[in-house]
Amino acid sequence: MSAAATAPPLEVQERRFALALFVPALALLLLTTTVPLVYLVWTSLFRLDLGMPWLSGFAGLGNYVKMGSDPRFWNSLLLTFIYTGSTVVLQVVIGLSLALLVMQFPKGQGILRIAAILPIVLAPVVVGLFWRTLVLAPDFGLVDLVTVALGLGSHNWLGDPQLALISVIAIHTWQWTPFAFLVLLASLATLPPDIYEAARLDRAGAWQRFRHITLPLIRPAIVMVVILRMMTALSAFAAIFAATGGGPGSATEILNLYAYRTSFSELNLGYGASLAVVLLSITLATSYVMFRLRRARA
Amino acid sequence: MRSRSGIRRLALAMVAGFGLAVWVMPIVWGLLTSFKTERDVLAYPPVWLFKPTLDNYYEVIFGATSILPNLISSLVITMSATLVTMAFAIPAAYALARLRFPAKQASGFYVLATQMLPPVGLIIPYYLALQRIGGLDTYSGLTLIYLTFSLPFAIWLMVSYFEDIPYEMEEAALLDRAGRLRTLLYVILPQVRGGIAVTAIFVFLNAWNEFMFAVVLGGNRVRPVTVAMFNFISVEQTQWSKLAAAAMLAMAPVIIIGILAQRHIVKGLTFGAVKGGGRR
Repeated sequence: MSAAATAPPLEVQERRFALALFVPALALLLLTTTVPLVYLVWTSLFRLDLGMPWLSGFAGLGNYVKMGSDPRFWNSLLLTFIYTGSTVVLQVVIGLSLALLVMQFPKGQGILRIAAILPIVLAPVVVGLFWRTLVLAPDFGLVDLVTVALGLGSHNWLGDPQLALISVIAIHTWQWTPFAFLVLLASLATLPPDIYEAARLDRAGAWQRFRHITLPLIRPAIVMVVILRMMTALSAFAAIFAATGGGPGSATEILNLYAYRTSFSELNLGYGASLAVVLLSITLATSYVMFRLRRARA
Repeated sequence: MRSRSGIRRLALAMVAGFGLAVWVMPIVWGLLTSFKTERDVLAYPPVWLFKPTLDNYYEVIFGATSILPNLISSLVITMSATLVTMAFAIPAAYALARLRFPAKQASGFYVLATQMLPPVGLIIPYYLALQRIGGLDTYSGLTLIYLTFSLPFAIWLMVSYFEDIPYEMEEAALLDRAGRLRTLLYVILPQVRGGIAVTAIFVFLNAWNEFMFAVVLGGNRVRPVTVAMFNFISVEQTQWSKLAAAAMLAMAPVIIIGILAQRHIVKGLTFGAVKGGGRR
């Protein structure tokens, strides 16, 4: 009993041990993410142009005011919403349909699952380059092979502004739909089969079973997929960079790419930082709303 | 009735087969291209049957445009990022999953929030800071920024593995007066060996595929293979078959890892939030 009298109580012991384990990682995270972030916001208040260093200086909110009259910024904002919205919807709709379909026949699942893993594990930059050269190149690309064979003719998929936007959306959807497919398939597989039996006895049709049984049960998984896919789409970079570089002109320049090009092609780091702050705010606001939505519906 | 369901099954199989083809075709096409001569690549219409050559692989490994130094570069950064990440993530995840401490929930949210930061917001301050201290084009600079995406991810994924362990194991060990650290090292950690392996694999995969940080903070010395892919593309000319061969070499590790870890991939992709996807 004498040992117990001198040793600190169990809760204190536990707390000390927990902090000893957690604080190193917390300190590292603060150092590598939060401190740079503060520095980012600070940088966004300066005019910092490595191309014209003599103009550098404190600008207050000048960079943010400048955005209001910058058509390239508004264009990139619009493209961000189009890109994020369309890729997320396409991924979830195609992924869910395919998962529901595959659930019908358990035999081929293994092969489809391995096929689905391939796009996910590839580096986005490699995916972008592959599509640029092998899939979308005029005449020699796979897509042109098909369109020419169907009599639709050859197209400059990455050179025409409108086609280029569709192309980068297709590339992103190609790479990440397997993610939605795999996660939703896993989620569907956990549903107990007996509720379907009961529903069938109640003469519920296929659509009704989907609408009133399946959908509510997998809603948390769908919301999860939407959140994670939105985050990826908002900061999509390498595939677009490799395929179009944001071009032609600024036809595929989503906000993320605009911030990058401003900072590292035009070396205007102050303005680039303010664009990054806007993207950061959009990302955090989106995830906040989505998490609220998730809890409200759960 | 029977034949109708047969037709339905056939239709389903065809749609699934189409999906399969769309995902696999670009990769198979890339694989084929990597074995073609420049002449076969530029044949029109494209040829499916041709005399395969290993020249492209020879060239991208031993030739003037060798990507061997880049593969080594990738390996060094990826390994160091993975080791540092795991060393910090495992203890932190155990604390978050199992121990009581002040502001624990807020800490968990903080870790999750750091995962959501867009990389472009991080790279600007890193570029400015590393430039000032001469840290551009160094392995330590790149490793440090890789922690920004790997550490929060690894902590969250490890938490889900720690949560799977039954409480009784710890309680029994603690009643034996084994001490907390010894319980963690000798009782808990062996239980999550699989989780540690899976987490390390995903950290490796993400770091290997990273591009934006590498292209800005790297240079001539530290030049991962994702950046080196652009060696084969210039304004005048694209070296199709060499690009394909280099891409196949660069992506071979992640493809193999992905297929080996396929049972765990769903859990890995969702930070541990969705389980399974494997053998059900």
